[in-house]
Amino acid sequence: MVNRLRLGGLTEDGFSYKEKFIIRGFEVGINKIATIETIANLLQEVGSNHAQSVGFSTDGFGTSPTMRKLHLIWVTARMHIEVYKYPAWRDVIEIETWCQNEGRIGTRRDWILNDVATGEVFGRATSKWVMMNQDTRRMQKVSDDVKEEYLVFCPREPRLAFPEKNNKSLKRIAKLEDPVRYSKLGLKPRRADLDMNQHVNNVTYIGWVLESIPKEIIDTHELQAITLDYRRECQQYNVVDSLTGLELTEGSKMVSVGTNGSATATATTREDDHDCHRFLHLLRLSSDGREINRGRTEWRKKPTR
Amino acid sequence: MVATAATSSFFPITSSPDSIDSKNKKLGNGSTNLGGIKLKPSASSGSLQVKANAQAPPKINGTTVVMTPVEGFTSEDAASSLPPRTFINQLPDWSMLLAAITTIFLAAEKQWMMLDWKPRRPDMLIDPFGIGRIVQDGLVFRQNFSIRSYEIGADRTASIETLMNHLQETAINHCKSAGLLGDGFGATPGMCKKNLIWVVTRMQVVVDRYPTWGDVVQVDTWVSASGKNGMRRDWLVSNSKTGEILTRASSVWVMMNKLTRRLSKIPEEVRGEIEPHFMNSDPVVAEDNRKLVKLDDSTAQYVRKGLTPRWSDLDVNQHVNNVKYVGWILESTPLGIVESHELCSMTLEYRRECGRDSVLQSLTAVSGVGNLGNMGEIECQHLLQLEEGSEIVRGRTQWRPKNAKSFGKMDQVPAQSA
Repeated sequence: MVNRLRLGGLTEDGFSYKEKFIIRGFEVGINKIATIETIANLLQEVGSNHAQSVGFSTDGFGTSPTMRKLHLIWVTARMHIEVYKYPAWRDVIEIETWCQNEGRIGTRRDWILNDVATGEVFGRATSKWVMMNQDTRRMQKVSDDVKEEYLVFCPREPRLAFPEKNNKSLKRIAKLEDPVRYSKLGLKPRRADLDMNQHVNNVTYIGWVLESIPKEIIDTHELQAITLDYRRECQQYNVVDSLTGLELTEGSKMVSVGTNGSATATATTREDDHDCHRFLHLLRLSSDGREINRGRTEWRKKPTR
Repeated sequence: MVATAATSSFFPITSSPDSIDSKNKKLGNGSTNLGGIKLKPSASSGSLQVKANAQAPPKINGTTVVMTPVEGFTSEDAASSLPPRTFINQLPDWSMLLAAITTIFLAAEKQWMMLDWKPRRPDMLIDPFGIGRIVQDGLVFRQNFSIRSYEIGADRTASIETLMNHLQETAINHCKSAGLLGDGFGATPGMCKKNLIWVVTRMQVVVDRYPTWGDVVQVDTWVSASGKNGMRRDWLVSNSKTGEILTRASSVWVMMNKLTRRLSKIPEEVRGEIEPHFMNSDPVVAEDNRKLVKLDDSTAQYVRKGLTPRWSDLDVNQHVNNVKYVGWILESTPLGIVESHELCSMTLEYRRECGRDSVLQSLTAVSGVGNLGNMGEIECQHLLQLEEGSEIVRGRTQWRPKNAKSFGKMDQVPAQSA
């Protein structure tokens, strides 16, 4: 398979896809760096372009021919993004993505994000997808013939963006209980939040989760990691509440993340922990409180630029 | 083969996999011309000399991305460095090599052997990352944008916000390219010294056709004088492949003292900075002089209250980005119109800015149905204001039924006077 070394194309072996992007002025936020929504949008774009380049559908669903015959679509179950250094306006980045089987009902898509000038990895992401019947809206096991269609394009050996054991992408997210620390109620999908299939865009949920983070944190910290479990679809006419609480680690105090308690832990270490905030999130329907998403975020103190 | 020698300096691998051989075959003979960068393998040293033409190579990530990776490689380096490297050992260098290879192959690749699911993008050869460049006697700035999947809205076309983001981006990049950027936001050095900023007062956009996923749009922008103390910025958006005009837009800017918030005349020093960049042309959009009425609760038929900016709506100054106002205006336009019609023309008057803590309301009145000589067209009046009353934006929009565009209307690019 001939490689197309242009802005975007399948790699040499055909098992992954790479594309370059330049960060545009309207994609940076108040911190003058790309927003997490920009990053998430680009991950989505690269995923779509990968699907397209191997011949899957161009209607926004990224489905294979057999899936379309059976009215099956992919639905995001979990999204996990880590950003170590946010790119700035006019930076050129390259994103590589690939797919793999995940258990019996799912598939995973992983991404690696590189800064083209330095070659450094500035972020990683992974996502889990399940198959759903478009008509019944029920989850469906991935049948063998569908699996065959897309496994051809997946790496033969397992390849993980997060290969380390017990990494954050696997962490279970507890349901946010009272007391809720911060909230933003009454969020409504805007027309601009709808994708080409009239569903609330996956990335909009990220924005909603962040809505309940207060200015004090937004001004001084930047998002280091975000994990979202998608539970229920949100329709155009729904109203959503965004709730945030502190994540408690086992045996730790309310505010700071527990240190290892070792006698050699320095004052600096403790300060670093204070500089890192961890939150649990819940997005729920205002009307009846049903859960739409749950999430967790980690925030680090903004580096001086 | 000269070209092979050139590429071998990028692949200092003795045992090359089959795929690399096929890449070598694709390179043409002789020097490759990147439309700006000439790669001339020189016979004597076997090193590559890189010559850039007059236009400064764009700086990306603080480094001149095209030059730097290439300069570092000579076949001598390759020969005198480590003993035969295996494919695996090359991996840490791969990303840097990839950047260098990309620039060469962009120019050299003549045939696309893969399924070409996206239209060819010849402009990408000259401007691979879509940074934009000055064209046409230095007065017009041109930048290409590829429409991405997430920029497509519920109508399956690029949203008006996407188009306006492109306009905003090219305006800033034009200022930067022309050396007019003192502070990063369109104020020249002379303006910065006097605490002056440009403020947009009026914007008109006419959309003939919305681009869709995968389209590459070409945005041309230039500035002209507007009266004695104003500036007009025009844009022309076309399909970079077909040349069809998609959108025309025109904006009026005045100078304001950012501390006193008072309007200011253009000081002589600043006039000297900006006038050389002014084009002497007619507005690309015929000016809509009709007064924009101020709506109120009694005249507005649709009101949407409780609009609050999200974090992602704010620009670097923590003000709501101008483009977001358009989204809010559309929010109070009745769904029936928005779903069956598409926005074909918009006139906006900007009155004041708002920030994160503002609570706004959006008022809409349908002021005309099919009364513009075009069956099915609808006209609306809009007001976006703070709930406590201050006006943010006044507007007028026109909507035409979807799929009712005029056929075969291939406008010519208007002749620009020098």
